[in-house]
Amino acid sequence: MTPFLELRGVAVRLGRFRLEIDAVLSDGWSALFGPSGAGKTTLLEVITGLRRPDAGRIIMNGHMLFDAASKKNVPPRRRGIGYVPQDLALFPHLTVRQNLNYGRPPGDGDEFFTGVLERLEIGSLLAQKPDALSGGEKQRVALARALLARPALLLLDEPLTGLDGPLRERIIPFLQRVRDEFRVPTLYVTHSADEAVALCGRVVVLEAGRMMSEGAVHDLFVPRDSPGWRLRVLS
Amino acid sequence: MKNILRIFAVLIFCVHLPLRAADVTVFAAASLSDALEEIAKGYEAKTGDKINYNLAGSNVLARQIEQGAPADIFFSADEAQMDVVAKAGLIDPATRQDLLFNTLVIVAPSDSPLANFTPPDLAKPNIQRIALADPKAVPAGVYAKAYLTKIGLWSTIEGKIVPTANVRAALAAVESSDAEVGIVYKTDAQMSKSARIIYAVPQADGPKITYPIALVKTSTSDAAKKFLAYLESPEARAVFVHDGFMSGAH
Amino acid sequence: MASLDWPAIFLSLGGALLAVALNLVPGVGIAWLLARRKWPGKAVVETIVTLPLVMPPVATGLLLLELLGRRGWIGHWLRAVNIDIVFTWKAVVIAMAVMSFPFVVRNARVALEAVSTRVEQVAATLGASSWRVAWTVTLPLARRGIVAGAVMAFARALGEFGATILVAGNIPGSTTVISTSIYNDIMLGHDADADALIAVSIGLAFAAILASELLLRERQS
Repeated sequence: MTPFLELRGVAVRLGRFRLEIDAVLSDGWSALFGPSGAGKTTLLEVITGLRRPDAGRIIMNGHMLFDAASKKNVPPRRRGIGYVPQDLALFPHLTVRQNLNYGRPPGDGDEFFTGVLERLEIGSLLAQKPDALSGGEKQRVALARALLARPALLLLDEPLTGLDGPLRERIIPFLQRVRDEFRVPTLYVTHSADEAVALCGRVVVLEAGRMMSEGAVHDLFVPRDSPGWRLRVLS
Repeated sequence: MKNILRIFAVLIFCVHLPLRAADVTVFAAASLSDALEEIAKGYEAKTGDKINYNLAGSNVLARQIEQGAPADIFFSADEAQMDVVAKAGLIDPATRQDLLFNTLVIVAPSDSPLANFTPPDLAKPNIQRIALADPKAVPAGVYAKAYLTKIGLWSTIEGKIVPTANVRAALAAVESSDAEVGIVYKTDAQMSKSARIIYAVPQADGPKITYPIALVKTSTSDAAKKFLAYLESPEARAVFVHDGFMSGAH
Repeated sequence: MASLDWPAIFLSLGGALLAVALNLVPGVGIAWLLARRKWPGKAVVETIVTLPLVMPPVATGLLLLELLGRRGWIGHWLRAVNIDIVFTWKAVVIAMAVMSFPFVVRNARVALEAVSTRVEQVAATLGASSWRVAWTVTLPLARRGIVAGAVMAFARALGEFGATILVAGNIPGSTTVISTSIYNDIMLGHDADADALIAVSIGLAFAAILASELLLRERQS
């Protein structure tokens, strides 16, 4: 696990809420774990460049994305960071194919395109519009769209929250497939311990705008009495 | 004692009656505005009656009276519009008389280079726009068209005409230089500070421009009759003459 | 037998179409800036854009006359290059455009504000520049509101009277539009002609609404 994303002294003030992060994330899949209101979505917005922090530095893979001191701020479109928000934000006026093509680098090969379609099993949906898709299909299309833009980092904001049990069970294998075959460093936001354990190698725990702990997933989570995982309370 | 007080009360009440202000509504042609406003000021101060004016092109006023607008007096800028109202039986024919006369002039902006101007010069290319009150209906425009037709110029210059809602608007168009020349009444030209007369149509050549006045039949107030009489008085006449109108027999 | 003032009808139709066409790009552009960006003087621009809606049309007409007349602020420059605006069809189009501008801006702004910023943000992360996001995501999604604004502007331009009569005059065959032609007919007592023109203007209003329905329906399927 090599260092991939550095957040040095990154601070954001939103009204009375203050986010302060000092962390180094490795490549591979890391979970961003915490209760609602902890600042997880805000942190994603900061990393993508959609929100400007008040202080700090953000360095990805050796490239400086943001530096408050030198006023450097790379705009979102040049950061190469894929973002799938909680509401998926598929373009409702475009077909699935047009959605998928939106972020593809010019001249990108068809093989990769077909490969993504196969892996996520969305080949049959290309001519449809997003409102004709099921919940699970929309998830996979949103994921594919982000992947097809060849991101250096992928941010997934609670992809499975709000889905019922059976649907969740069916999507987790797709996510694992993406993790193992596409090998894109990913920050996976969730408040489900089970998901964190199923998909990620490391965890960052966020609470009230601060990083509470950080480490390997099996160091931070312990099995519950009934099937499932919970956060080990560290004193 | 009580009886004396009662008599006083009645006397005071009686004295007050004629002093209570009455309203008179006069529908008058736009070209009369300045003179009429001055006359009204003096009259209101003297008698306490309030004079309300509705000033517009005479054709508009005639239409309004036909539709039942509450006018006491109609002071038109031509016979035609007065005839319209008379035919509809809306005025008291006994009160009708030709009160004033006017003549036409051609005007240009004060700083215009035009000199030694005669009507045929209207056809020259340096004149692109001629402002007139609407020749289809407004008296000032009707007179102007009649005059130009009589001297054989109308068909040549018809395409340059800019019709306006009333004669004052035609004057305004010339004052702002949006029209190079305009044809208005002598009285309007005299009033203007930023337009000057470049040709005065001789009385013999021009149309007979009369301003008939009459009491509207639906008017019931004595105040209206009084004001009508005042307009015919030497005092009012002096104001009109001062503004360039002619009065009395032609 | 009533006769129709065809020059007035053509001038009204052509002028209104041209006015809306002229308004569309600046109107939607300003609406976008008002909806998506903060900048100093924003409130002033909002007020200026709304003025033609709340001022009496003749007051707006008078302002335009003072601006564009031969002695006007802008007018005297144009006169130097031999361009006349007042009392020509150009003034008709300008009056129509000014009076209908607020409809384009306000409707477009509401439509743009209704577009989810999340969707625009994701488009940005997918590599799209501000232009591309506006063109490929925001505007298509705001289409209905923008079209509605254009139709309203067209209808307003068709019915424009007060400002037009001041700055373009009422020259038959040249600057008389449907509304001033109806006014002339009424003033002269030509009631049958007035009725005929009124019927035409109602017909045009219906046609405009129908056209907008068709425009919006087609794209959806």
